[in-house]
Amino acid sequence: MSSRVLPQFDLLTPQSISEAVAMLAQYQGQVAVLAGGTDLLVWNYIRKLKPDYVLRLSNLDGLDYLNYVPGEGLRIGARAKVAQLLEHPDVAEKFPALHQAASTFATPQIRNMATIVGNVLRASPAGDCSCAILALGGQVLLQGPGGQRLVDIDDFWVAYGVTKRKYDELAVELRIPEPTSATRSAFIRMTRVHEDLAKLNVAVRLEMSQDTCSQARISMGCVGPTLVRLKQTEKLLNGKKITDELLQQLAASAQDEITPIDDQRSTADYRRQVAGVILRRVIEQAIETH
Amino acid sequence: MSEKTFVGKNIPKLDAREKATGQSIYAADLQLPGMLYGKIVRCWDHAHAKVLNLDLSEAVKVPGVVKVLGPKDVTQKNYNTGVLDLMVPEELGQLLGDIEDQRIFTDHVRHQGDAICGIIAESEEIAEIAAGKVKVLYEPLPVYLSAEESARPDAFQFDERKPGNRAFQLPEQMFPGNAYGWGDVDVEMAKADLIVEETFYLPKVKQCQMEPHAYVAHYDQTGRLNCWTSTQMPKCVQPKLARLFELPLSRVNLVSTTIGGGFGARLGMVFEPETCAMALAVPGRPVKVQSAREEDWVASESRHPGKYWMKLGVMKDGTPVAMDAHFTSNAGAYFTHSSGVPFTTGSWLTGMYKFGAIRYKGDTFYTNQAPSGAFRGYGNPQTNFALEQIVDQACNQLNIDPVDWRKKWHKGVGDDGWCIGVPYSSCALDECLERGAEAIGWKEKRARYANQSGTLRRGVGVGVMTHTSGAMPMLLEHTTCTVKMNEDASVVITLSCSDLGQGSHTVLKQIAADTLGMPMDEIHILVNMDAAGFDIGSHASRTTYVGGGAVIKACEDVKRQLIERAAIRLGISEEELEIEDRQVFARHDRDKRLSVKEICHTGVYNFTNPETGETNGVPGQIKGYASHFPGHNSPPFGACFAEIEVDIETGVVNVLELVIAHDIGRAINPMAVEGQLQGGAHQALGMILTEETCYDKKGLCRNNSFTDYKMLGPVDMPKLTTILVEQPDPIAPLGMKSVGEAGPVNPVGATANAISHALGIMFTEAPITPERILQALSEQKVA
Ligand SMILES: Cc1cc2nc3c(=O)[nH]c(=O)nc-3n(C[C@H](O)[C@H](O)[C@H](O)COP(=O)(O)OP(=O)(O)OC[C@H]3O[C@@H](n4cnc5c(N)ncnc54)[C@H](O)[C@@H]3O)c2cc1C
Repeated sequence: MSSRVLPQFDLLTPQSISEAVAMLAQYQGQVAVLAGGTDLLVWNYIRKLKPDYVLRLSNLDGLDYLNYVPGEGLRIGARAKVAQLLEHPDVAEKFPALHQAASTFATPQIRNMATIVGNVLRASPAGDCSCAILALGGQVLLQGPGGQRLVDIDDFWVAYGVTKRKYDELAVELRIPEPTSATRSAFIRMTRVHEDLAKLNVAVRLEMSQDTCSQARISMGCVGPTLVRLKQTEKLLNGKKITDELLQQLAASAQDEITPIDDQRSTADYRRQVAGVILRRVIEQAIETH
Repeated sequence: MSEKTFVGKNIPKLDAREKATGQSIYAADLQLPGMLYGKIVRCWDHAHAKVLNLDLSEAVKVPGVVKVLGPKDVTQKNYNTGVLDLMVPEELGQLLGDIEDQRIFTDHVRHQGDAICGIIAESEEIAEIAAGKVKVLYEPLPVYLSAEESARPDAFQFDERKPGNRAFQLPEQMFPGNAYGWGDVDVEMAKADLIVEETFYLPKVKQCQMEPHAYVAHYDQTGRLNCWTSTQMPKCVQPKLARLFELPLSRVNLVSTTIGGGFGARLGMVFEPETCAMALAVPGRPVKVQSAREEDWVASESRHPGKYWMKLGVMKDGTPVAMDAHFTSNAGAYFTHSSGVPFTTGSWLTGMYKFGAIRYKGDTFYTNQAPSGAFRGYGNPQTNFALEQIVDQACNQLNIDPVDWRKKWHKGVGDDGWCIGVPYSSCALDECLERGAEAIGWKEKRARYANQSGTLRRGVGVGVMTHTSGAMPMLLEHTTCTVKMNEDASVVITLSCSDLGQGSHTVLKQIAADTLGMPMDEIHILVNMDAAGFDIGSHASRTTYVGGGAVIKACEDVKRQLIERAAIRLGISEEELEIEDRQVFARHDRDKRLSVKEICHTGVYNFTNPETGETNGVPGQIKGYASHFPGHNSPPFGACFAEIEVDIETGVVNVLELVIAHDIGRAINPMAVEGQLQGGAHQALGMILTEETCYDKKGLCRNNSFTDYKMLGPVDMPKLTTILVEQPDPIAPLGMKSVGEAGPVNPVGATANAISHALGIMFTEAPITPERILQALSEQKVA
């Protein structure tokens, strides 16, 4: 239940990344990092975390960037908002899956507050940007007392709400690799109403030469405790010409590869029934929209 | 009446600017000196349990806690949050079996969220912290979530007055066989060429008004109990509180605060009893009680869910020879509206079509869900879901066009209305059907969508409805209005009709301005319960129709007095005088005139010349008054057309357009009428597509907030086309009929019918979710 009583915590406002990291180290796992707060400040969430300290990123001026670096890819600072994905001309062009995820994401008000990094760090199996990022591939740049390290997005989510980030590390940046001219990507989600968390989401990144897919990455959400890559299904796709028949096989494979449950947003049966359908559609969308 | 300056115009709502800019003061915004904060401690972990032990000792110790109230620290009187007891004669209430079964704080939890005790503290935070320290030992009792379960012979008995947990059925003395209608259904049904029989399931939908329930109460030094509340029914809540706390009405002062939406959620009392009980425990200090959305959800009323069985018998040519129906609804934990809703659910059914014979039964059973109660439409959306679909089933099987069938068989002028014995005074349903069909492209699309293949299937459907304008004759129907003329001829109108946001005060002001022939901005509407007379509240789609009638009468009373005085002053007979442009003048000699202002001014500033003894005018401030009991309920009709598209691979329904043609009689404010139809469509689509309050096996609510109870948002809404059909009602003041409650009714049937047109499958269970559609499709193998 919601509450009028704000949990007791001290608010930390570091002025630099190194100060932030020092604070994380000092308070040993008792700190919740506050980016846009659209997850953290939802009562149920903060009540579960019961942090002694909340460390806000608002004074870390350098972190609100969203840069496309030709030859390298997308660099997303920890304070970049979901709305920025929609404003940046290169995102729609080069990372359509991420652009599509951002455009269906919540409402304008939430998009103006929510960060992309926060979406990844929340480690929810329903995260929309996260779903697109898992398909696009990428790395999370973590900074701790001993310096920086990069964790591949494929390894980043460990369990529901749990990531590879150590308590004394701050996520400072997300990196998404440069697409080639053969790269196609797309994202689709299903919700009960437009403003809702996904009941199912899916994203793909395909390396295409003509009708043939040389390499595929497929991610799906709301079908397990974390977002998942459908690796069996990817294998079926790799090196194949995309035909109606293949799409049918992929759909059947996707259904077998997921472990959905019943919850308030949908049922396991339904998720299984439509997983293949929306996988087929997202592949078609990826190929068509280029 | 002559030319209208304001009636019929799109006048912006008076409170629109204040609300849109956040200036309106709601009960939760109030800050009074010395104010304390109350917290209702609710049972959160059980839906049915006995309180074996209530330990308040730790809660009392929390610094800042002023008082902790258990069940024995407040009045031991029972009550019923509903108001039916005030609205029907006592004998009828007894016949209907209305009972008072609620307590301020209970030791028998009957639903999740039942109130256990109360905490009064110096701050809201302290009250909540102390609430967390209340220790309750519960003995769990069996939980019943449907009428079927609680009706079992071995089930726990909720109330000894209600054997078998049946809270209500149509009383035998009034309705032999516990049914009402006409003709011999069994005999007529036997003649039918085709019988269609179905059982429908209606979801528990919530009003979702924006403002969660909040109150301030203050038992002041003069011994008055003041209660600030956004109730829809101030003049009914006042006597209910007076009775509960054994105070004369003059010592109960209700202050109406801005209403952040009602839709029935604020019909009768909600948490006023708990709040006032707390205030009475700390005389001299105001107590504010606010509820979180989740509390509002589990402890206040919803629409009645239930099972609606229907059997329709028709001849080959479509003649509806017989209708047999039985609505078994889920009352939830307390009696509240157990008699009202099952009764009207049948009224809307009997009012719609010319069945050869009809038999309607309605009963209600206790369960451990949150109490069911009033929600815009009051049983009508439930009937619409079942009736409009079953009619279409019959039409489909007989190959009759559903629009043609409805035109032929709907009731009209002179037929018995929704209340048998009160005939319809007007009916523009044919025009609604014609113009609506035209606007949606009915004939063409109906044919085009008959045979489809492919992933996206379209359908068009129709749904009609009738409703009421006011509570007459079922309930007491009465409202009062006072029109006071200021000395400068500006006006203060005092009334107790609530404006829930539907714009009723705007509309009443338009009516007053035109009746008095003056500008709207010189009229003030005062809503003050000490000053205002009686009114049964804003419900039953009555405020414009009945409130407007009262305003007209009170304004006419003012005009009569103006003419009376002008006659004396001008020495001309009253019959010779008329009022125009705020002047009273002689019809045949327009130079003989007196301004309204002059009459009003000299009535107040009345001086006597000591030498002549003459006065400068007729003394006395003018006040018009009406205590209005309307003679009819001028029911509106309406036709809604829906066009939808279903994705048969995902079951997702995309509503493309709703055309809503409404028989408004006369639109006082067309923009406001359209707003009512649009808002109503929003609620209807929610009920049909996404909304349902769900419980787990323990009876705990699984979706008590907007995170998981999904209403449609702006992006989800379809194109809405509204058509206002204006055929003035011959009886109604200004020819007007109602719209508020009609809004959420027939988009329900129209949308359901459109889905079944697209898929060839009728969905008997709402909401019709993609999950249900896909399941049905896989069972029926639609290709
Ligand atoms: C009304 C509403 C609608 C929503 N709709 C959607 C939707 O459509 N799709 C969707 O995917 N999500 C949705 N969300 C969830 C939420 O908005 C997103 O997950 C959002 O991206 C979180 O970002 P944030 O900046 O608000 O994160 P915060 O709430 O600030 O943080 C989220 C989590 O990440 C951690 N964190 C954040 N930044 C860092 C960092 N730099 N280093 C380490 N840890 C960090 C926080 O400690 C916290 O645990 C919705 C939320 C609301 C309230």
